[in-house]
Amino acid sequence: MLLARNLKRIAARSPWLYRINSGSCNGCDVELATTACIPRYDVERLGCQYCGSPRHADIVLITGPLNRHVKDAVLRLWEEIPEPKVTVAVGVCPISGGIFRESYAVCAPVDQYLPVDVNVPGCPPRPQAIIEGVAKAIEIWRARL
Amino acid sequence: MPTELVVLVSVLVFPGGLFAFALGLALKGVDRRVAARLQGRVGPPLLQPAFDLVKLGFKRTMVPDTAVPGVFLAAPLIGVVAMALAVALVPIAGVYMPDPRLGNLLVLLYLLSVPGIALMIAGSASGSPFGAVGFSREMALMLAYEATIVLVVAAVGLRTGHAEGQVVTFSLAEIVRHQQEHGAYLLDPVMWPAVAAFLFFYPANLGIVPFDIPEAETEILEGPLLEYSGPALALFKVMSALKTVVVLSLGIALFCPVAPDGIAGFAVWLAMMLGLLVVGISAVRVSIGRMRIDQAFSFFLKWPLLLAAASLTVVVVV
Ligand code: SF4
Repeated sequence: MLLARNLKRIAARSPWLYRINSGSCNGCDVELATTACIPRYDVERLGCQYCGSPRHADIVLITGPLNRHVKDAVLRLWEEIPEPKVTVAVGVCPISGGIFRESYAVCAPVDQYLPVDVNVPGCPPRPQAIIEGVAKAIEIWRARL
Repeated sequence: MPTELVVLVSVLVFPGGLFAFALGLALKGVDRRVAARLQGRVGPPLLQPAFDLVKLGFKRTMVPDTAVPGVFLAAPLIGVVAMALAVALVPIAGVYMPDPRLGNLLVLLYLLSVPGIALMIAGSASGSPFGAVGFSREMALMLAYEATIVLVVAAVGLRTGHAEGQVVTFSLAEIVRHQQEHGAYLLDPVMWPAVAAFLFFYPANLGIVPFDIPEAETEILEGPLLEYSGPALALFKVMSALKTVVVLSLGIALFCPVAPDGIAGFAVWLAMMLGLLVVGISAVRVSIGRMRIDQAFSFFLKWPLLLAAASLTVVVVV
């Protein structure tokens, strides 16, 4: 029991991040790709690593208002990520639709379709906020392991 | 101790098996940390690769519908076993001499190409188009760099063989002993081109920028590894950690195996491993970008091959 708990604590120090762009304006993606993992705001010190394959992912970062066009692809992609996983919505787009909220082409809010665990509002959110969101997601993820 | 037991220990405990596993993970950790520092970041803790392995142990291994399950799951195992054997084949000057029954340099060359083949099998068995692209790139790259290492090994073998009054020797133990008595090949101008060729070879063999083309995550989503998750992916990580140990220590055994006996020799060996890692891997991978496969292919068939051939020619003629 004790061993398993300790191992889980160790395992929680290696959360790998995966980004899904569900039709964002790219503002949040730029924020994620450059600011959050580049020297100034290094998320690798939390053990995070951006991975190219959904199969390697632990924490999913969704940006964008879930366009009608990509909805099925996003949902399928989300299914491909092995459990246990945590979903983080980055930016106001996936939370409410943001500036696209009244468009016929978007399906936001995303949590109608996927269980979202952490919301990081902002348009785009500050890198510090993204890092805080990731840190919260790690807490949730540790409980799920 | 009976010799069977000695062989078994050398494969399972030191320097193969457990020791190589721990050292490989530590080297990976140092590499990530140094790379982060060179980029001005804090970087992950030194034990990060070990954390990653534990984490992967908790995840599910998913086998895609399109995959061939048996082959898909066996591929990483083949790679790990080959590498664990290969570590036991490389001598550490003053500390460890492999039992001749384990095999010689030629066996080691074969074992060294197994991880590449395991990746190719993995890529094609996963049924993913990205895996297939990774497969073809891995194969092209292997064709390009294998020629270099064969010529380098031939140059070292012939040089030692000539000096010892034979035609050629492929016993690593003999090569190491010769250099301990007559000075390292690193100080022998005839061998300098071969050393340079080896320095080009090992990032390619280890799949490190600029030669990480088969696993390019930004282009083909890690290619052969794309469909792997959980413990199966962890095995691939172990394989690449072990391979780092094998290739770096092979470089030391071929060109610079001069060290005092015992603990001091071991410390010198460790320091050389770290130096090779930091200079040849971490510093290189943060300062340049990835090559295209056709660039890497023609690059390898030009410069490293030419360098290795130059050494070989001089060795044969003189
Ligand atoms: S939240 Fe703002 S910055 Fe982010 S994707 Fe939506 S519109 Fe773009």
